[in-house]
Amino acid sequence: MRARRRFAWLLVKEWRELLASRAWWVMLALIGPLVGVSFINAVRTYAELSGLNGTSAGVGEAFSPLVGVWAPTFSACELAAAFLLPFVAIRVVGGDKQSGALKLETQQPIPPAWRIVAKALVLLVGWVIALVPAAIAAMLWRGYGGSLYRPELAALAFGHVLNAGLTIALAAAAASLTEHPSTAAIVTLSVTVGTWIVNFIAAVHGGLWQRIAEYTPTAMVAQFQHGLVRLDVTLASLALTIAGLAIAAVWIEIGAPVVRRVSESAIVAAVAATVLLAVTFAWQSWDLSEARINSLPEADEQALARIHEPLHMEIHFAPEDPRRTDLEAKTLSKLRRVLPRLQVTYVSATSTGLFEQTAAHYGEIFYDLGGRRAVNRLTSADGVLDTIYSLAGIAPPAETDDSVFRGHPLAVPPRRAGTVFYGIWPAAVVAAALVHRRRRA
Amino acid sequence: MSGAAVAVHGLTKSYGRLAALADVSLTIRSGEVLGLIGPNGAGKTTLFECLAGVLPYDAGTVVFDGTRLPPRARASRIFYVPDAIAPWPAQSVGWALDFTVGFFGGRASLRAEVIERLSLAPFLSSSIGTLSKGQRKRAVLAIGMLTPHPVLLIDEPFDGLDLRQTREVGAALRDHAASGRTLFLSIHQISDAARVCDRFVLLSGGRVRGEGTIAELRGPDPDSDLEDIVLART
Repeated sequence: MRARRRFAWLLVKEWRELLASRAWWVMLALIGPLVGVSFINAVRTYAELSGLNGTSAGVGEAFSPLVGVWAPTFSACELAAAFLLPFVAIRVVGGDKQSGALKLETQQPIPPAWRIVAKALVLLVGWVIALVPAAIAAMLWRGYGGSLYRPELAALAFGHVLNAGLTIALAAAAASLTEHPSTAAIVTLSVTVGTWIVNFIAAVHGGLWQRIAEYTPTAMVAQFQHGLVRLDVTLASLALTIAGLAIAAVWIEIGAPVVRRVSESAIVAAVAATVLLAVTFAWQSWDLSEARINSLPEADEQALARIHEPLHMEIHFAPEDPRRTDLEAKTLSKLRRVLPRLQVTYVSATSTGLFEQTAAHYGEIFYDLGGRRAVNRLTSADGVLDTIYSLAGIAPPAETDDSVFRGHPLAVPPRRAGTVFYGIWPAAVVAAALVHRRRRA
Repeated sequence: MSGAAVAVHGLTKSYGRLAALADVSLTIRSGEVLGLIGPNGAGKTTLFECLAGVLPYDAGTVVFDGTRLPPRARASRIFYVPDAIAPWPAQSVGWALDFTVGFFGGRASLRAEVIERLSLAPFLSSSIGTLSKGQRKRAVLAIGMLTPHPVLLIDEPFDGLDLRQTREVGAALRDHAASGRTLFLSIHQISDAARVCDRFVLLSGGRVRGEGTIAELRGPDPDSDLEDIVLART
């Protein structure tokens, strides 16, 4: 009971510290225009493709609001999570060290993890408040007569909360490990840039790098932005978040010998690495997009579900060959969701494949399904599926238009959005900050 | 004053090749006001931080009422008020005192008395970060006085205070000790230390150069005062 009361005091204190933090108010004020510019541009493009201002109607008929509006609108939140949220988190975690409050608080014998959990919870609430402009965008869209498919929007919001959790954990660990907030900021941004480099290397070299790159924040958010909730990605980001917070808790205990803190951090890192390795075997995923953009047609999924033998595909495409990118995005990523025993091996001598075109087998795809083999150069989804059906001895399902997503065209300009995001939101945030400051004084 | 509240044995702390504390042993008696005196760089702050468990040390033991206290357990017995800090700078003094009572489990009944003794009433609604050095020192002292730990270590309790305030705070600390708290104060002004403390620990170069009352430290020269003793021993 007493411990719970002390934790409640910590929460109150961290909340007050967040409200007193200029960094949080600045982030809150900036995220409105950031979301606004993305939303306004996305709605305008969506409207034009749907036939506004004389553009040919019908082009946007297969448009999904998730891809056309929400993915770009929420990308502003991704930007804020990468470049604004770390400073708020570092202020909340590192501020105690700078002011000397940490030396006082350390003398309350509660587990250091509680201190970090209290900070993380408050920061997460602060981030959810920062997502309000995105919620306003959804309301405006609804007001325009736009279609809202709640599951895909929920997946999107969930992905951005997970991403914020990762950022908070990283910033908390950096703030605890370093002596000064500026060093913590450099460390945090360096790690962020490092994940971009991993993505770049993955695009060039493929292989293991590509597998690792699937778990970078950018790749994770991209999947949620397509309405795809993958169990492995979700568990990996939770594991990384907990590991980051655990390392922060280890290093916030300033009275512990450095050797002990280093060894505890190594244990945390080892446990996290083991968990990360384990979660890569979790293949379950849920396509929450209304357009089922991450899935093969339902009839194909039902037919493929009857295949229980392992399928091995040896694909002779270089990592930067656009056909490989196309095959991955449009077919293999969807195929993996229904064939968890699918094993894909890429073979290439170079990263671009430009000078391999004449090499033997380049461009060929070798199939091995339970010992039955086939080879061809077909990269379209239909071509790949037909080959698999033929190897499995299954008749391809009849093509049907019943489950095809017809889209939600909307030829409406983003009315009032500019006023809301560029005027009312920043003014409301500034007014709230001033009122809070006056009340505090 | 009664028996030993805290006994320190062989406390050693090094920063690389620099020995900040070398085999420091001392005793803090229950209910006393013990003064820690030494020149700049003597290791006074390092000693306090090691005792409070906010800084790791290389060797040594701290015993409280006969029981050995590891650093983590020390937080329930010893509270340390560092010098030159401005904790929770955006929060008001009044809230910081409430937080101290709530978070540390301090004595709420003492709040009004501490505010009065340290003349904090005019600043209760001011943010700690906006206070002057002396005002902030009194606010931090109030935080320390409200904590429930039996032993209170204060680093430079009079730093930043004018003469009148120094005397008032000194009297408040003496009364606080009389109410049953054990105080260990690091003081660089010898005259202040002589007025407030019952006994003294002289620290120089990370080593204890003497411990006791003025009479015990004086040695063969009956006319020497605390300043003479400190100059001779440190």
